[in-house]
Amino acid sequence: MTDIKQFLNELLSLPGLSAYEGPAREHIASTWKPLVDEMQVSPIGSLHALKKGFGSEPRPRILLAAHMDAIGMMVTGVTDGFLSFTEIGGIDPRLLPGLRVTVHAKRNLPGIIVMPRDALLPERKSETPVEMKYLFIDLGLSAAETAELVQIGDLVSFAQEPMELPNGIITGHSLDNRASVAAVTACLEELHNVQHAWDVWAVATAQEEETLGGGFTAPFAIRPDLAVAIDVTFAKGPGASDWRTFPLGKGVSLGIGSNVHPGFFKAVKEVADKLDIPVHNELMPRGSGTDALAMQIVADGITTLVIGIPLRYMHTPVEMVAMKDIQRAGHLLASFIATLPVDFMQNLKWDD
Amino acid sequence: MKELIRSLVEATGPSGYETQVRELVQTSITGLADEVKVDALGNLIARKGKLKEGGKRVMLSAHMDEIGLIATFVDDNGFIRFTANGGVFPVYLLGSRVRFLNGVEGVIGAESNNLRDQAPAMDKCFIDVGAKDRLGCPVSVGDMAVFVRPYLDLGDRLVSKALDDRVGVAILVEALKQLQDTPNELYFVFSTQEEVGTRGAITAAYAVDPELGIALDVTKTGDTPKCDKMEVTLGKGPTVKVRDSGMLSDPRVVRWMRKTAEKAGIPYQLEVLEAGSTDARSIQVTRAGVPVGVISIPCRYVHSPSEMVDYQDVVNSVKLLVALLSERIVLEQQ
Repeated sequence: MTDIKQFLNELLSLPGLSAYEGPAREHIASTWKPLVDEMQVSPIGSLHALKKGFGSEPRPRILLAAHMDAIGMMVTGVTDGFLSFTEIGGIDPRLLPGLRVTVHAKRNLPGIIVMPRDALLPERKSETPVEMKYLFIDLGLSAAETAELVQIGDLVSFAQEPMELPNGIITGHSLDNRASVAAVTACLEELHNVQHAWDVWAVATAQEEETLGGGFTAPFAIRPDLAVAIDVTFAKGPGASDWRTFPLGKGVSLGIGSNVHPGFFKAVKEVADKLDIPVHNELMPRGSGTDALAMQIVADGITTLVIGIPLRYMHTPVEMVAMKDIQRAGHLLASFIATLPVDFMQNLKWDD
Repeated sequence: MKELIRSLVEATGPSGYETQVRELVQTSITGLADEVKVDALGNLIARKGKLKEGGKRVMLSAHMDEIGLIATFVDDNGFIRFTANGGVFPVYLLGSRVRFLNGVEGVIGAESNNLRDQAPAMDKCFIDVGAKDRLGCPVSVGDMAVFVRPYLDLGDRLVSKALDDRVGVAILVEALKQLQDTPNELYFVFSTQEEVGTRGAITAAYAVDPELGIALDVTKTGDTPKCDKMEVTLGKGPTVKVRDSGMLSDPRVVRWMRKTAEKAGIPYQLEVLEAGSTDARSIQVTRAGVPVGVISIPCRYVHSPSEMVDYQDVVNSVKLLVALLSERIVLEQQ
């Protein structure tokens, strides 16, 4: 039995920036291995894992997509031993100065992000947050050592270890979206001894933060009847309280909008209500910004849903989620799949 | 190869209207490919070789289209208003000359005729083709134009409009000429509509269904006075792209390209481009996904009517491409 919290903590400590998901993928694969029947790595690095259903063939398929790639940085220049860098995924530069990082060079190098002295900045910049292009990384090495070890294109990861706070709150980097990978893992655990009719494809997608790459390609290979994107959403917190936000630790969100099939939404909502799993309606007026955005329009179109896990301080090294919400997302998915009838698609209505 | 580049850059081929360029390419690759076709978007797809033991199906892509303008309105006095077809920067407009697909040429003026040191917005500019009124104007709404500027051979350095990406097209043609035996099934794609969202490559990649994709395109440099920082220099060799703002190259492809260049003694640079992308972005997410990489030709003044490349970088790009494609391709895991 996987300890989901321990698995998440291990996963958070592993690198795996977009397009370089290897270390995260290997850990997920070894955890999922006893829970699934087969696994493949896609041409762009997503992990596709199949847990076969118990219905007669051909079985309908449901795809659960949680992206495993993390945001981070990449070296763009080496000048006198100091590194300039750009972002992978979206990073708020206000949070960067003072952070510890790991530069994945010829060997892993510890470093810190530093801000130049005011005198080195254009005058109008000196009293505002410093843009990324002026920041640099100091490795404490000589210029010669740095030039020998570091190259343009080397990756930079956040080095903060995850931390557990009271009430099952976890904080750390990459909780977007490894919290959802943990939720899918919890779902697989719960389904372990369940005779579900459908084939379940658990997918840890690659490159979501850059191109939704896994979202575009995994459904093409798998051709599911239903696809769910599990991703983090905004939790209420300081300065975040409007309709786009949801209380931390008080339930998951179900997306409503163009990326979500209303009949699919209704069916999952009914399961949540029946089991007293708290869910919030998340309005997605323009698009979900998740793998569902891509998955929905793959091949001849796919019936999609979005489940959100509330998270504070998104795209920072101090993201925060509640373990409870991760467990709820997993439990909701497993409960839905366990009761999913073979003829679900035949009876699925667009609306009523 | 300079003659080929010259004829390519002098052709008119705004995104969506690449016919002139396509015909030039068709002529220059006659007899070199095993199969040539044109798809519904106008991509020219030339196959060379048939898959052999240990080979791969590879898509190579260089785009034929160039940035340009489209006429939106002709006023009573025969002045033409326009908008951009692709990434045209307003700073390059005033004083530029343009040529429409029907051959009509004109000059760009701005509403204020007293501008000294600021660039007018695009909607404050117009094209003057010398017409006296609307009826006498040989241009209609919807007509496409490109910039004109004489091709300049400075010896090591070449200057022209549309080197983005006709220089990539020329490299593909030359590589097709030089490639002898290959275990790989190679699809040379001369793509359309790159400048309006890497669109031709979407359908070409779907049709080719490659196991590996490589785009050939220009990239920016950081070697001009007080420019934005970028570690790419004209004349230091083609680049192996690690990342641009549209995608991340597959790390296995990056490693393979670097190893091949090092083994063959071809100079190369590593590239991280912070604004711009290439056909590889589209190829990567095709079907079940494709490992991709990019060879870029360093280019100053990208998207101006006077782009500049280094001829040795062009020659070395051909060498690198031929070295990459002549052998069995092995992508090692991270």
